Amino acid sequence: MASAVSPGMEVRRIGGSQDGRVIELYIGAQHPASGHMRLIVYLDGDVIVRVDPDIGYVHRTMEKLAETREYVRVISLLERMTIIDSCNITLPYVEAVEKLLGVEPPPRARYLRTILCEINRIASHLYGLGIGGIFLNHSTMYMWAFGDREVFLHLASLLTGARLTHTYSVFGGVRRDLPRLFIDEFSKAKRYMLKRLRDYDKLFFNNPVIRGRLEGVGVLKPQRAVELGVTGPNLRASGVRYDARLTGYAAYGELDFKPVVGKEGDALERIWVRLREIEVSLDLIEQAIRSLPEGPIFHERFTKTIPPAVRHWLAKGRIKLPGGYVRLKTRPGEVFTRAEMGHGEVTYYLVSDGGIKPYRLRVVTPSARNVVLFDELARGHTLMDLPAIYGSLDYFPPEADR
Amino acid sequence: MSPVSWLSSHLGLPDWLLRPILAPLVYPGLLAFMPVALFIIWAERKVTARVQMRVGPLYVSRRLGGVLQLLADGVRIAFQEVIVPETAEKYSFMLAPIAAFSLVAATFTVVPGGPGVYGFDSNISLLIAYALISLSPIVTVVMGWASNNKFSQIGAGREIIVSIAGEVTLLASLLAAAMMYGSMSFNAIVEAQNDAGIPGIVANPVAALLFFIAVLLITDRVPFDLVLGEQEIVQGPYTEYTGILFALTMALDYAKLYVLMLMFTNVFLGGWMPFNTPLIGSLCVFTKTLVLMLISVFLRSVYGRMRLDQVAYLFWARLLPLALAAFSLSAVMHFLYR
Amino acid sequence: MKNRLRSHVDALATAVSRLTKSPMTFFYPDYEEDKPYGYRGVILYSNEKCIGCSLCAQICPARALKMYRVPGDKRLRPGYDLGRCIFCGLCTDICPTDALELSSVHDKVFDSLESMVMDPVDWTLWSRKVRGEEMARGRKMRVWIDEDKGLRYEEVR
Repeated sequence: MASAVSPGMEVRRIGGSQDGRVIELYIGAQHPASGHMRLIVYLDGDVIVRVDPDIGYVHRTMEKLAETREYVRVISLLERMTIIDSCNITLPYVEAVEKLLGVEPPPRARYLRTILCEINRIASHLYGLGIGGIFLNHSTMYMWAFGDREVFLHLASLLTGARLTHTYSVFGGVRRDLPRLFIDEFSKAKRYMLKRLRDYDKLFFNNPVIRGRLEGVGVLKPQRAVELGVTGPNLRASGVRYDARLTGYAAYGELDFKPVVGKEGDALERIWVRLREIEVSLDLIEQAIRSLPEGPIFHERFTKTIPPAVRHWLAKGRIKLPGGYVRLKTRPGEVFTRAEMGHGEVTYYLVSDGGIKPYRLRVVTPSARNVVLFDELARGHTLMDLPAIYGSLDYFPPEADR
Repeated sequence: MSPVSWLSSHLGLPDWLLRPILAPLVYPGLLAFMPVALFIIWAERKVTARVQMRVGPLYVSRRLGGVLQLLADGVRIAFQEVIVPETAEKYSFMLAPIAAFSLVAATFTVVPGGPGVYGFDSNISLLIAYALISLSPIVTVVMGWASNNKFSQIGAGREIIVSIAGEVTLLASLLAAAMMYGSMSFNAIVEAQNDAGIPGIVANPVAALLFFIAVLLITDRVPFDLVLGEQEIVQGPYTEYTGILFALTMALDYAKLYVLMLMFTNVFLGGWMPFNTPLIGSLCVFTKTLVLMLISVFLRSVYGRMRLDQVAYLFWARLLPLALAAFSLSAVMHFLYR
Repeated sequence: MKNRLRSHVDALATAVSRLTKSPMTFFYPDYEEDKPYGYRGVILYSNEKCIGCSLCAQICPARALKMYRVPGDKRLRPGYDLGRCIFCGLCTDICPTDALELSSVHDKVFDSLESMVMDPVDWTLWSRKVRGEEMARGRKMRVWIDEDKGLRYEEVR
């Protein structure tokens, strides 16, 4: 039978068996560099014996709340899990409901979703790099990453009208068409970002001080990574070629896409994978823009019931929702969908009983899967390696806590 | 007639008594340190902001570009309540920052700030300055211990490891310089450089580099700020300090930086070279010191923090052997300053 | 060893070269961003177009919109709680008559929490005020993406 073990009891057990050598250190819950989570670190001298990630500070009962809301209202709820990556995290949910509704989004909408997903991924990686930088007290990387992220937030706001919580993909399509301005602005942003990535390499990635902090720290073997169910860039950095985008959801199946796979599996490699994935994402957006099909952005089933008084919006690149959209009825059934977020793979399991609200919605987020790594990687390293490991994992507390 | 002798004749105090009081309190000491700290912290934030595509402090005194920001912060901190934790050792907790700051301030008595501007001259003033500087880490350890907080104690432990590594290198480079000039008095060293017309940094760049790196470590500058370690151990030994005591601990590092860079100017940059009048010479020393401080704070925008074992390795295994090179270079270059 | 030295020099040079460039930010309260077309700010309400269908209140994910009974009006009318609004804009998408529309402002200040809860009459009046302010606002900056600086700001006249 499982018994509740309070942190204090644990240190007494470990410390007592080693003549009180082990002390426990509480890092958090308001961490100076990341969100709300606490790490309970057991230290023998300067060496970490064990790390207990104390999660749940930002738990908001997303899964239960989803059962109390109509399908369309759940979208903006789920976005709150990972506000920096909101298109990626809602896309599998939207696709799941679409499957239950029997609605296939038009090709143009699929491409637009891909574009926003990749913009989100770049922004999310930049966020992770910035946090990784400030963990090593490299404030310039922090500010640079957050500053350059602003470029992509601006792109997203051109496309969707909001910087973070886009609520862009809805069942049957997307809410806004690509503005003509966007293509031009994106090509400038791409050239800018490629230039900046070289600066990042010089100032941060190849900086001897930073390399010294990250190289050989927190090595994750591919076998172990698979056993632990690690996901996302952290998995690929260990040399496992897995990316949910390879399953070809949205428009990924039609684009030329090769996942970035690392080799070493240490903290440096995880940062490297993120940097290179930004390049790949920029390339993917360009491909998507180039092969963007013409056509509607919203499924016909919904467009034909839009009231005539507001149909003029369709020509202006905005959709209008029909009145029945709030209380959409799905067929009963179960759907399982997945997508690759910036942090890793998110999976949704949606059960419908044929009503207007989800019967059950199970979400497994990448950060929730990666949280095991804190203990796994930090053991045997010194306390000063903990920030390096934390920073390289790109862990996002609200996402793990749901 | 120098300002000191003018003042001593008016106050009726002997010159030798007035000098050691004026030097630490006026120039190059605390009164000069105030604007230096104000300017350096502002410049540090402004330059870092520039590199980081930001603006930096601005809204306090917008016309001056936000120079007075630190003054505003200082006023706020000065009026903040000083909280002494229940579990702390009250007296050592409160007295330690004052003691540490006084120690650093006392260093100004031997370091000249210009031609004839010094507290007292001694044959071993180099060693006295070094001894006073290397006393303050002990007080920092007392701070960490008295706070009775895990973060403080870890920080104090780091301070022990780091300060020993740094001070050995510092002493090695100072001794190498002393060997080169054949003297341990700051005034004599500067005069030697003046006579030869060659600043020490040209004659012995290795010792100068060692001194500079050691200063970065001793004053907790990036990339060696692991005693503060904001992301791991909050504020290191200073975690529990609030109000004016916290301001003292903050100013401590900048005061150390100031006095050590003043020493650098005297030992390696020829002090008041090429000027010889008290006023212009002092300004020259002051400017050189400021430039050095600017360089050291600029590194904040380039580097991150090094790991403890890497710092120890760098200083004991890389820089200490380099000190031998500095000594042999000094032996060769000694002929310059004969 | 040589490589390490080179990397040090590279890092220093990159930081120094950045010193010559101007900041990426702009002075927000002095200037305001001229929001792109379709920006989703606070929701504005036109009383005369509303047919009282209550779809907006049904779709609002944050329950920021609520239907009120207004004296002298047979239909229910929506009221707006700005404190709860998440600016998703779904209500404007579902509104069948364009009675709800997006504005380009979201930085509004209120004296108290209660004054953020607006009944239909308050909301109509407030919307008129915001529309007027939108026309006559102070100095604005248009944001453009720039190849060199990332973001470039151009004053809108």
